[in-house]
Order: sequence, then structure tokens, then C-alpha cells
Amino acid sequence: MINEYIRMALSSIKGARFRSALTMFGIVIGVSSVVTIVSLGEGVKQQVSNQVDAVSDSLVVIRPGKQTEAKAFSLDSLRSFISSTGSLSEKDWRDSEKVEGVNSAVPVGIVSGIVSYEDKEYSGGNIIASTKQLPVLLNQKVQFGEFFTEKEYSRNIAIIGQDVAEKLFEENVPVGKSLNIRGTSYIVQGIFEQQKSGSFAALNLNNSVVIPYDSARQVGGSIQLMQVYVEAVSSDKVSDVVSALKTTLKANHAGQEDFTILEKEEALEATNEVFYQITLFIAGVAFISFIVGGIGIMNIMFATVSERTREIGIRKAIGATNGQILGQFIMESVVLSIVGGFIGIALAYFSNAIIRVSTDLQPVTTLRVVLIVGGLSAITGIISGLLPAAKAARKDPIASLRSEA
Amino acid sequence: MPIIEIDEVSKVYGFGDATTVALDEVSIKIDKGEFIAVMGPSGSGKTTLMNMIGLLDRPTHGVYRLNGKDVARLSKIKQAKTRRDNIGFIFQSFNLLPRLTVLENVALPLAYKGMSQTRRLKAASRALEQVGLNDREYYLPNQLSGGQLQRASIARALVNGPSIIIADEPTGNLDSTSARVVMELLSDIHKLGNTVLMVTHNPSLTRYADRILYMLDGSIVYDEATAVGEIPRRVQNAFNALRKSDDDEKIANVSAMIETMPEPAVGKKTKNTKKKKKKKQHAKRSRK
Repeated sequence: MINEYIRMALSSIKGARFRSALTMFGIVIGVSSVVTIVSLGEGVKQQVSNQVDAVSDSLVVIRPGKQTEAKAFSLDSLRSFISSTGSLSEKDWRDSEKVEGVNSAVPVGIVSGIVSYEDKEYSGGNIIASTKQLPVLLNQKVQFGEFFTEKEYSRNIAIIGQDVAEKLFEENVPVGKSLNIRGTSYIVQGIFEQQKSGSFAALNLNNSVVIPYDSARQVGGSIQLMQVYVEAVSSDKVSDVVSALKTTLKANHAGQEDFTILEKEEALEATNEVFYQITLFIAGVAFISFIVGGIGIMNIMFATVSERTREIGIRKAIGATNGQILGQFIMESVVLSIVGGFIGIALAYFSNAIIRVSTDLQPVTTLRVVLIVGGLSAITGIISGLLPAAKAARKDPIASLRSEA
Repeated sequence: MPIIEIDEVSKVYGFGDATTVALDEVSIKIDKGEFIAVMGPSGSGKTTLMNMIGLLDRPTHGVYRLNGKDVARLSKIKQAKTRRDNIGFIFQSFNLLPRLTVLENVALPLAYKGMSQTRRLKAASRALEQVGLNDREYYLPNQLSGGQLQRASIARALVNGPSIIIADEPTGNLDSTSARVVMELLSDIHKLGNTVLMVTHNPSLTRYADRILYMLDGSIVYDEATAVGEIPRRVQNAFNALRKSDDDEKIANVSAMIETMPEPAVGKKTKNTKKKKKKKQHAKRSRK
């Protein structure tokens, strides 16, 4: 009999194409937004974990500010994660290099200033002051040219991200050209390989200009240490290094722990946690459109039932039971929402493709998400079809046959 | 054994002062193979009786046996199944589903029986052949004439092999030529051994029937067997009276009937009025 219901549902949907399309619209929007957002979140998560895998296990990150518990979702934890700067000093960096068991310590300092080339300015990124170990620790390759060496620390040379190359110089390999930072000219010596977004430790090299720390000091202006990467001699020394670093830095900060030391896994967790929270929040909002879509279907089904009163009367007169009428109308709403769900998923794939092409985000749609969302739209169909179908099933055949509709 | 056995069946609508007695202790037996014409003015209970026999409605009191089984108090689902297997409806306004083809419309009762699509379309095709419409199988109802539509709906009523075919003014929406075709078809079906129960306002159609019921105020006031092809004189009189005064046809119709009615029937009517009062009291009591 289910076959029969599906056949009846399809025929009545075909009979009212425009109306059915409108009805499905709500579900289409709901499904496509949920799938797109969850795919984006999943994509970011995978990118981050790929990068973290590439980074050495003996890496430790020092961040300014005390990190609150990131697992509990609160605006405060987000705010301190995003905006805590200022409490790390150059002395902290130099001292951590001397801690026992530390192989190297690399500063990530933000230099205030605007990068310009001829009469163009690039304001979309950061000027980062660092040392030669940076690309090694982040496992970031330089595609063209070379990163600076220790000997070049005092020279005015810069390694730039691809976005800077394209937007500022409007070419792919502007090696040898010079850009201007706070009135000092820097020669471009290398261009980073395209970095996938969602970087470990939230540092986007694509729109960064990296210059040697020592030369940055000569330019003047303040250098804010955003973080310090510390590499332990081996991965099993990491916990010793962390406690030693804590002691050293506490001494520098008058006994206060206004900084955070993260091991690789913790750093990943903190980054992921924030993305996860945001994804969850937006998916929740998108889920509301699901409910709205369901209500839309229910609404139209109620209208359909009153409009087709006579048809219901005829069907009952020729022997349809109440249950069969119920089944027919529920199936109609289920078919509407499942078809809507399929269109929504297709639309999500389409918008994911656009996102992939036009941004550096890589959305990943897992089968699990598709199945869950497909199931959800079927359930939406059943729930929103239930009341109208019950109304149809309860109709009195005699009164229905007499009705005009 | 009669196919249909109705014993003192009543149908009462409403409560208290608003009580309407649509059927007033009607008793009737219908044997297999009868062609019964039911006549009477509007509001006389014809349609209520048809709905009752067609299991679309339940009696308030009384016993209704279909093929020997008491069906008056069946559950809704059993009622629907009995209707599906035993009753074929033909309506004045055809009532084919507009989105389905003629063939699908005719096959629909079998779909509710759970028959596979191939088998039921074959059966529907056979039924359409019986009414001479098999060249219109894939037409939609709005592409057919009224007469063709009614023939399709006769095919739909026949497709289940029902015990009884209930036709509610089958020619009411048709021109005289189509009406004739449809009536001849019904007559042929009757001759094949089917039981037909037809409501009509047109006395000339009673010539196809072999038994005539006349209803008034919820009672059968006149029940007579006639030869097929004959219009009984009393029916003709009622019809003529109706023709003479179109301005108040109902009253004329009723008075014509009363004039021609034999004495016992009038007596029965007064008895019925007493019963009606009794029933009103009963309705009040049951409300409490």
C-alpha cells in the first residue's frame, strides 16, 4: 500500500507543481543552510587537524593572557581568545630560549604599520616580526625564493604571503621588488606557499609580511608579541619544558600567570573548540528555518485538505478507510519534504563548490550529515503532515461529497 | 435470502427542538437482481436511505443486514471495507477524480483493496469495455462528455463486482440522449443479474425498474412491483401534478401522492407521527 501512497502523492504533487515548489522552498532553504554550515565547520576542523599533524609533536605555544576554560561556550572565552595581547615581552621570549630542554623559541610579533608598494597600500594583513625558525616550526614552505637566515637578521628583507603578492604587487612572484614599512623599504626575498586556512595557532601567513625581528626593531614602532613558539628537544620532554617555562615566565611577570602555555593538542583543542561552538550556534539558527519550513508544509497541507474535501469524500465512498486517507496525506507531506531535502542537499553541494572556488575554505560534506539531515526532513514531513492528514481522515464522507470543492 | 434487509431503521439528526427525523422506522427487503427506483420529493429521506444502505451513514436505531450480516454497528474501518467490497456508487455529478485518467479512476476501488497495479488496471480495462468506453481509457475526465463520464463511473461501480449498485440520480446532469444511453446501460447491467438501487426525480425512468419505492417524510409510503417498461399510473399522476404547478412543485407533488394513496397508507402515516413524538422523547432522554 505504501507504493500506492507514494504514487498518489506524486500525482497530486504533479497536479499542483507551483504550489508544491513553494511549499518545498522552506525545507530547501533549511536543509541547504544546515548542510552548508555544518560542512564548513567540518572542513575547518579537518584543515586544522591536518596542519596540526604536520606540525612537530614537540611544539609548545605561549600566548599572552590567561586562557579561560574554552570548553564552556561563553563570549568571555571567545573574547579573551581573540583579543588577548600585550602581556608577553621580548624578555620572555629570550628567556624561554634559555630554558632547559628547549631547542628553539620563535617569536610572532605584530609590527604596527601599513605595507605599501609605490602608491598602493595593503591593509588586509599583519606585519610579523620573527626569526628563521618560523617556517620550520609551522611546517610552512616557501614557494619562491628563500626565508631569511640568522646572518640576515638585521637586513631589510621580507617574506610575503600569496595574498599580499596578488593584491599589492598584482603578480605572483614579486621577488626582488621592494615594499615600504613605516618609511623603510624592504626587499621581497620570498613568497610563502599558499597556506590552508584555519591555521594552527590562528596565524594566517597568506596575508602576512614576515620580516626579521631585529630589523623590525630598527624600524621603530611597537612590536606586540602575539605568541611565542617553543620547540622542545624531543616530544617526551614537552611536559618538563612546559613547567620550566612556567617558572621562568612567572619570575618575569612578578609571580603572576598572565600567559597561557599550550601543548600542541591543547592548542588544537582550543582552536577547534571555538570553531565548533560557532558552527553549533549558526547551525542552531539554521535549524530554526527547518522548523519554519515544516510549519509551511503543515500550513499548505491544511489548505490542501480543505481544498480536496470532495476528493476525500469520493475516495471514502469507493471504499478508502480512514487509515488509507491518513496514509495518503502523510505520504504526500513526507514526499514533499524529502524531495525538498534532496534539493536542499544538492543546493548545499553547489554552494560549497562556490565557497571552495571563491574562498580558501574547504567545506567537507560527510555522508553522516547528509543522512541525518535527510532523516530530519523525512521526520519533519511526518510531523507536519500528521495533523492535516488526521483532519482529512476524520472527514465525514457524506458532508465531503456534498462540498463544492 | 435477501441481499439487503432493513428492519425499522431510523435516522435522527440534532437534539431537542431541532430534532429532524430523516428516516422513520423504515423497513425494506431487497432481493438479488432487483432494479429499484426510489422516488419522492426533496427531503423525503431518499438520500439518507441510500447513504445508509451504502454504509456511508449509520442508523440511529434499527437493524441493517447486508448479505445476512448485521452491518449497522460495524467499526468505521470494517464499514469502509464492506463498502469497498459490496457497494458500487454512481453519483449525479459523476465524481471522478480530475487528476487521474479514466482507467485509473475506474481502478481506484481495487487500489484500496491492495491489488497490484497491473492487475487492477486490467480489471478496470475490462469494466470499461463493459460500458463501451475502452477507447477512452487514457483520457482525463475533463476530456469526456457527461454521458461518457457517467459510463466511466458505472464502470468504477462495477469493477469490484459489488452486491448492490447505488445510483443517486444518475441522469440528473445529462441531456436526454446521454441519459437514455446511461439508462440502457444500467438496464443491461441489471439484466446481467446485478442489483440496482436508483434514486430519481424523473417518473419516466421508472420504466426501467421492476420495483418502485415512493418516500415521504422519512417513510416509504408506496412500495410496488411493476413490470419493466411500464410507468405505474400513480407515479405518472404525481409527475403530471408536478408538471402543472412548477411554482410550488413540492406541495403539488405531495398532494398528488396523497390523493392517489390508498387508505391504509394514510393510516400508517398518522401512526408514524405518534412514533415520531416518541422518538423525540427518546432523543431528549438519551441527551440526559
